[in-house]
Amino acid sequence: MSRKTERLVNLTIALLATKRYLTKSEIFRTVDGYEGNDESKERMFERDKDDLRNLGIEIEVGTFDPLFEDESGYRIKPENYQFQLGEVNAAEIALLSLAAQAWRGASLGTSALSALNKLHSIGIESDSELIPDLAPSIVSEDTNLPIVISAITSRTVLSFSYINEAMQSEGRAIEPYAVAARHGHWYLLGSDLDRKAQRIFRLDRISGPAKLQGRTGSYEIPLNIDIDAAFSTQQPLQSATILLRDGRAINLRTRTQTITDFETEEGWQRVTIQFRDRERFVEEILWYGSDVIALEPQDLREQIIGLLKEGFQRYG
Amino acid sequence: MAKSQSTPVDRAARLLDLVPFISTHQGIAIGDLAREFELSENELLSDLNTLWMCGLPGYTPLELIDLEFESGYVSIRNAEVLQRVRLLTKQELVIILLGLDILRDSFTADRTDLVNAVDSLIAKIRKIVGDVATAAPIVDSSHRAIIGQALQSRQDLEISYHSTIRDAISTRRITPLDLSVDFGFEVLNAYCHSVAGFRTFRLDNMKSVTLTSATSEIPKERDENEFQWTVHISSRLRTSLERFRENPGDLPTDNELTVIVKSFSQDWLLRSALSTLGSVEVKGPHEARTSIAKACRQALELYE
Repeated sequence: MSRKTERLVNLTIALLATKRYLTKSEIFRTVDGYEGNDESKERMFERDKDDLRNLGIEIEVGTFDPLFEDESGYRIKPENYQFQLGEVNAAEIALLSLAAQAWRGASLGTSALSALNKLHSIGIESDSELIPDLAPSIVSEDTNLPIVISAITSRTVLSFSYINEAMQSEGRAIEPYAVAARHGHWYLLGSDLDRKAQRIFRLDRISGPAKLQGRTGSYEIPLNIDIDAAFSTQQPLQSATILLRDGRAINLRTRTQTITDFETEEGWQRVTIQFRDRERFVEEILWYGSDVIALEPQDLREQIIGLLKEGFQRYG
Repeated sequence: MAKSQSTPVDRAARLLDLVPFISTHQGIAIGDLAREFELSENELLSDLNTLWMCGLPGYTPLELIDLEFESGYVSIRNAEVLQRVRLLTKQELVIILLGLDILRDSFTADRTDLVNAVDSLIAKIRKIVGDVATAAPIVDSSHRAIIGQALQSRQDLEISYHSTIRDAISTRRITPLDLSVDFGFEVLNAYCHSVAGFRTFRLDNMKSVTLTSATSEIPKERDENEFQWTVHISSRLRTSLERFRENPGDLPTDNELTVIVKSFSQDWLLRSALSTLGSVEVKGPHEARTSIAKACRQALELYE
């Protein structure tokens, strides 16, 4: 087990140190750890290259000598190996560290730790004095989040079972584009391969582990992906007029567009409010019981009255 | 992070990262280094022993990485090739990007310097990975910092809290017990002195959090009634289950489902039942049904 680790480190050192491309035979001859017959050395080397690529280490392939055109060589360019955010100052290190720390203990804790170790290796003391006392934290117990992020960064098709409104599980295959944390949930935007359209999925409605499928880099992510815009095209805004009892229905109150006193009866305010999901909005109004009255649109008002009548009959 | 979980590739990555870290922290104590990399000292020593065998082709003492770690402190020489800090992987960039997004909204309005610094880092990272991830925080990071402080020093907190169940904002003195995550939301379990009982507070519903100098003794056990309602769901199964915060063990085979919902708050049960009048019927207990009927009648009267 540690032979493999050693070999990967030695290969990295050799390919980083060389000023010219190293041929495979040079690598097999000089880098410690390549053993067995030619075929098994080849296999080892191919796997090692993939493993390093997964660590973000790009091995460049080239021909170093026109006389030996058929034999390609390998090297790692130092500029492709090293920390890529350029010059960073003490305050920036502190901000980047704080951002990574938001993930401690979460499902991506390992990546956060390795990012932190790298940031702390730069040799600039992070200046946390500059920054107020904050404890940013990202909630992501969802074990599918690392899988989703790795599918996006490697541009690999993702398949999963998705629980629909009828609580049935549906198989989905998508080209994932982006993730977003909104209103306490993680959302995934991608192009649904069967439905041939963009769709948004809530991560906690994926049942079981999502799976990467097929080759990496198999599609392009459109430029300027905007998950919020995608939300609004799926459900256009609608508007309603409702009455709120004085000081009540705080959540609805904070979302109102306009608010005026209700002229016909004291103790109520008339507000206009926007919503996207009609059913959710109905449930929200009902949550507040006798502290909210729906006025308009008329069909909304009738739906609420209908549900209350139904409830009264059923339970009365 | 037990070593048994890390693959040879993970370990190789760690070794590559240990070199620049030690290079900028020459003479660091083994214990400190192990803590930075979240390893046991034995795991770290085994990593260092492996690293010791690595170096430039030739692998004579002249080419091998030279580590000194016997006296309890680590230094490194002859590792120029690996001294550069390794680039951040795309996965690491994405999680930093999300962290920065959360952080950005945590600063008060007067810290435009920090907001600008975060914005320029976000722009730098987006250039590399694209617009593939965003996060909007729902919890104020300064609240979380104060809560952390209170948990550590065992001091009480005064919070202004918006209870969506009571539909009211009130000030409460609480003794915090622990932080946890409840259906995706961060919550603080605490003893609330204002109601003399154990309560769970969602961090995103806290309007303000202040550390007090008080410490308090609190009862050991919660002696409140837990209510149990039997709930039959006939449509909008997913939404209704989410509202009642139930995970059905197995997916239902037909389009209906009966679950037992438990809660310390009868108000929450009642409001949830009202919300879902169209898709859920509470089968029992009898008092539950009576209270829902009464709430429906009161609301209906407003429309007459």
